[in-house]
Amino acid sequence: MTDYDAIVIGSGNAGLTAATALQRGGAKTLLLERHNIPGGCATTFVRGDFEFEVALHQLSGMGTDENPFLLRHIFNDLGIMDDLEVVIENELYRMVMPGEFDVTLPADWNELHATLIAEYPEEEESIIRFLTLCETITMEYFLNLPKAEKSNDLDMLNSTCPNYVKYGIVPAKDVINEFFENPNLKTVIGAYWCYIGVAPKDIPFAELASMIYAYAAYKPCHIKGGSQAISSALLESFHKAGGDVRLNCGAEKILTAGDRVIGVRTEHGEVFSCKTVISNSSSIQTYHELLDHKQPPQQARDDMKSRRIGPSAFVLYVGLDCPPEEIGATTASSFIVSERDEEKVIEAMREIAAPLNIMMTCYNLEDKDFAPEGKTSLSILCLQYGEPWEKLSPEEYAKTKHDFANLLLDKAETVYPNIRAHIEEVEAGSPLTMMRYLNTPGGAIYGFDQNGQDSARFRERMNAIDGLYLAGSWNNMGGFQPTYMAGASTARAGLKYIQKVSQQDEVLENA
Amino acid sequence: MPNSTSENTVLNNIVGYQEIVDHQQALIKTGTDHSEHKGQVTRTIDRLHPKRLALTVTEIVENTPSTKTLRVKSVDGNVLPPFQAGQYINLFVNIDGTETARPYAISSSPKDLSYYDLTIKRATPGYVTHYLLDRVQVDDKMTSTGPMGTFYHNPIFHGEKLVFLAGGSGIAPAMTMIRDIADQEKPYHFQLIYLSSYETDVIFDQELEALDKECDFLSIHRIISRPSESYQGLSGRLSVETLSDLLGETSSNSDKLNEKMYYICGPTPFNEACSQQLQELNVKARRIRIEANGPPKNPESIGGWPEDLPATEEVTVTIQGKGSFKARVDEPLLNSMERNGYSTENACRSGECSLCRVKVVKGAVFNPPEAHLRKTDAQYGWCHSCVAFPTEDIEIII
Repeated sequence: MTDYDAIVIGSGNAGLTAATALQRGGAKTLLLERHNIPGGCATTFVRGDFEFEVALHQLSGMGTDENPFLLRHIFNDLGIMDDLEVVIENELYRMVMPGEFDVTLPADWNELHATLIAEYPEEEESIIRFLTLCETITMEYFLNLPKAEKSNDLDMLNSTCPNYVKYGIVPAKDVINEFFENPNLKTVIGAYWCYIGVAPKDIPFAELASMIYAYAAYKPCHIKGGSQAISSALLESFHKAGGDVRLNCGAEKILTAGDRVIGVRTEHGEVFSCKTVISNSSSIQTYHELLDHKQPPQQARDDMKSRRIGPSAFVLYVGLDCPPEEIGATTASSFIVSERDEEKVIEAMREIAAPLNIMMTCYNLEDKDFAPEGKTSLSILCLQYGEPWEKLSPEEYAKTKHDFANLLLDKAETVYPNIRAHIEEVEAGSPLTMMRYLNTPGGAIYGFDQNGQDSARFRERMNAIDGLYLAGSWNNMGGFQPTYMAGASTARAGLKYIQKVSQQDEVLENA
Repeated sequence: MPNSTSENTVLNNIVGYQEIVDHQQALIKTGTDHSEHKGQVTRTIDRLHPKRLALTVTEIVENTPSTKTLRVKSVDGNVLPPFQAGQYINLFVNIDGTETARPYAISSSPKDLSYYDLTIKRATPGYVTHYLLDRVQVDDKMTSTGPMGTFYHNPIFHGEKLVFLAGGSGIAPAMTMIRDIADQEKPYHFQLIYLSSYETDVIFDQELEALDKECDFLSIHRIISRPSESYQGLSGRLSVETLSDLLGETSSNSDKLNEKMYYICGPTPFNEACSQQLQELNVKARRIRIEANGPPKNPESIGGWPEDLPATEEVTVTIQGKGSFKARVDEPLLNSMERNGYSTENACRSGECSLCRVKVVKGAVFNPPEAHLRKTDAQYGWCHSCVAFPTEDIEIII
């Protein structure tokens, strides 16, 4: 008998989901979290009268009560749906390039057509074809492709996934260029690249297309109480199912016998035996620091050679003493851009200099409860790679952070003036802040850079250590919906493994 | 690597497949297994935000009969992490077997990181301050958190005209701010309004006098609340009128007043009075920063406290899976836990930092306004144990 069937290291989205699904699936599970609060990115913090959302901007995959989508089903299975109050957003985003264009896209599939056509009438036909492609490719990608892949039947693939075969893994940038002429339209339609963290030239089209379709047709949403409400509900569900959690208790080592997981030692020196370990930590930390091998298994080392650490972010959490109207906010999400070429934007993310493109979320625009009455809760951010921040000396860090925050505010004020004049609370999170709280190399928020080959279909499952699973953004896509889904699928693999080794143990005991 | 079986799958018929494989091969050729990142996160973060500091007391200076400054250095002789002038460290102590901690603002300049000065005034009735003032000696070893807190000049929006209202030991963060401005030659104006009980009780009296002469950016107003008969300077309690005079503006000129940022640090009643007076002068909430100052002393007098529950009442606190003890309802949960040998991570001990968050699974606690809880905390029973008061028998998970 082991102390636990499963030990989950880290209570980020994937870890919390995996732990809850494992425990509810009958596996005795211990969840370890180095911080005092569960959630990882999915958390909030309080300053003065404000409770700031750390990371969630637009939750995808929930759908509505009448038209539920993937994530709502997962949350139902995890037993938390009744605890969550979903706030539906009415716009996808406003995108502004000062002096050039200012477009607001509605979160409605039909209205999205109408808005884009009204804005770019000369490309009406392309807009209709493009959006139709987004819709059909999403269906093919999620519904037909898994079946075709399983059957390994070329005819089936060609007949059920014709659009995916032609466009699914082609760079999104190529598809956008093929369909559209107007450079503004190209920038507007590709805006969601920043939720993946790589330029559209590196995003397989199906990923961007399914984001556009899912956000527009199923609407972006938010949860009352912020992403902490989801994390707390998951932990509660885990508790109620009988799971053990230790907060303020990081894992120090994953213990193995040969190439098989046998337990975990915590930072406080306690040792717990188990059959499987689900690591929600980065794969770099899992293999290089947690695993008790001298060096990672060859398979993991080979895999990591084709990976590059993805971007972090610089986020300003801002509380204003005026209502959103006073700064002119009309949508929850805004993208403020000064560069259409996303690759130039990515290059700028590698330097500590005025950001080219930024995002602003006004949380209490759709959910009045998200700020005290008459006030405003904002998050203003840009993606930034962690590397230049890691090179700063400790003495220059604070000044650099404050200077960068001012650059970000300057940019936001080009569209929303008067922010500075109303600041009541502000907290700046740099890539090093992300690193501190997420424990990720480079402070990466989406794991490794997501390139074409990072689709699960092109990666081998890391299975060199029996019973060790990675859940989270480091071997899947980053972001909220993908990490919840990764947690759920990893729990399924874990449960299967536990069942298998339990049967083996029984056979051994009876022999 | 592409799937080992992928050579034989239908997927390689998808347009773009070969380009992806080629791209991956190119990345492999120039990539590493990331072993160079081993330990890098910890190394990077520990330089800025170490979880614990191992410290040695190297000097003790008596500032006034009731106040001493302890100078602490890193045990290993390295420089200490940088801090923002106004931040604190939480100092862990073991007093006759009881492990507890208290946060103290650093009073030295952030420029010299070879040491931190902690200026500590005897509290009445007091517990930890007595230990620090009476029993700690040079060469004693101590542990603390890294520098923390949000009470500091934030250049993003605080501006250049700063007013600090200090009461008693609340002078410590003001001192470090003044020293910081002097060292950095920042273009600020800093007005210090400093209340002490007695003339003999003015912490940093001489240092401030010297700085006042030396620094153009600084103006200091000392107020003695219980002056001797011979005292000539400003005295009594701070009134709106006095404050308005010192600031040189009236409430009708609130635009001028709102150009300034006001920092308040002192005993809780002092903080509340200063804040109230500034608001009477039409200073906006966004221009007022108040340093938190421990749990409320008389929680039973705060609105929301259960009716007919005397402060002397005792309840049973059960720590799930560990044990139980009796505690008075007016004692902060964290304190009674520590007296009984239990603990949880903590830092500000004033309800703000949330590190001491624990889950109440049975019974109820009283959360005063100091508890900066998250909106969903109540739904699941989470509280900040440093300012939570058990008002009935409770069971908690730590």
